[in-house]
Amino acid sequence: MGVGELRGGADDPEHGDRPERHHPRAPDAEAAQVRVEPRSRAEYAADLEQRAVSGWDQRPFGSSAGDRRSESSAEPLEPVRRFEPGRAHLPNPGDAVTYLDARRGERPWLAAARDCRPEVQRLFAALDQGGGHSHIRHEGWVTEDMNRRRVVYLEDPAQLDPAKRAAGIDGLKPGEYLHRCRQTATRIVDPDAFATAFATGVEHPKVRAALEATFDPDDKPAPVQLPIGELLGSDGHRYCTGWRLEPVDGSMAAARKSREAWMATPAEKRASNVSEPRAQPVETFEGGVAVFVFGHNSRGDGYEVVTMYPRPPAQH
Amino acid sequence: MTGFYWERYPDGLFATLIGVAATYCSPDADADDYDRLKRLAKREDNQQMRVFKAELRRALADPSQLPAGELDEAVEYDDGSDEKFLRRLWHDLYGNEPIAGS
Repeated sequence: MGVGELRGGADDPEHGDRPERHHPRAPDAEAAQVRVEPRSRAEYAADLEQRAVSGWDQRPFGSSAGDRRSESSAEPLEPVRRFEPGRAHLPNPGDAVTYLDARRGERPWLAAARDCRPEVQRLFAALDQGGGHSHIRHEGWVTEDMNRRRVVYLEDPAQLDPAKRAAGIDGLKPGEYLHRCRQTATRIVDPDAFATAFATGVEHPKVRAALEATFDPDDKPAPVQLPIGELLGSDGHRYCTGWRLEPVDGSMAAARKSREAWMATPAEKRASNVSEPRAQPVETFEGGVAVFVFGHNSRGDGYEVVTMYPRPPAQH
Repeated sequence: MTGFYWERYPDGLFATLIGVAATYCSPDADADDYDRLKRLAKREDNQQMRVFKAELRRALADPSQLPAGELDEAVEYDDGSDEKFLRRLWHDLYGNEPIAGS
């Protein structure tokens, strides 16, 4: 079954999501092993399309010889072990395991760190107690289909109310603030890789300069780009995936404007009045960067990293 | 070469304009950031914003001088063109003040 047969028509995600049909058990139930596809049809299709285009192979971080090692250790998670939340202007997370277990129902993005090593759990717990959203929108708990729908329909993974998500309401801002998304929606697919990128990036001189800048309530540091290879090693780009809006008449500016027009048009009038936005998987993140964006911390007395996300190499 | 435009070309003609616009107007910006920029724009003692205003004036006078694709890539505005975005930005920050400076 090809990707094209999974998208469009009654099986299209936009017509409603159905889990894969459950196959009845074989008569000899003890001998037969039945595999049940846990993903919805839309998620399966998005995963398939992403792998077909980008070659994403879901290997765990640390399994490749090209994964980052620190100068003093062959262990790829050494930067995470050394991570000090205070240096990122994040609070001390306390008992990370207890924090993650107590909240994973209402904060599903924490599930990604559940089975991780203690240092990774500690970093996720610290991030979740800060004001940033990198672990909510740009990490592996976000599925390929969620990421595709974010860039196409501005559906915010952080919005847990299905109706509000479908309406493009931001899940982290108060009221009915509309969610915004760049022309690509990207993620670091592996929690260990995500934690390593964040912990390593926080110690980079350019990020340190931003975090240590004198606080001004009306000012904030400009964003910073760091090569993915510096953060995650020569194979680091393999842990990044994304979706990019398709250009309209060869223009990405026109594509973004068209997406805005689609979202501003009532659903019942869309088919006849505006073109539906579409997206394709990002082919590669090799040569790409991780972007660190800064903002005011929740105490209002300093700056923190409010988001971090991978960005593919510029298309010129 | 990696890096945002203002990192690659710190002395570039519109480095401050593009850097400030990316920081406060892109989809990465916080809900409160645009209001922060409006307050910053009123601070006449802020050297960066004096340079920003001058570069914004220059860009509006002749948008063809803008480095190709850089503002679009940094800000990813929904206005459709560099000029439309910059005109909206001028109006939001400086109201009815004439674009042509004295």
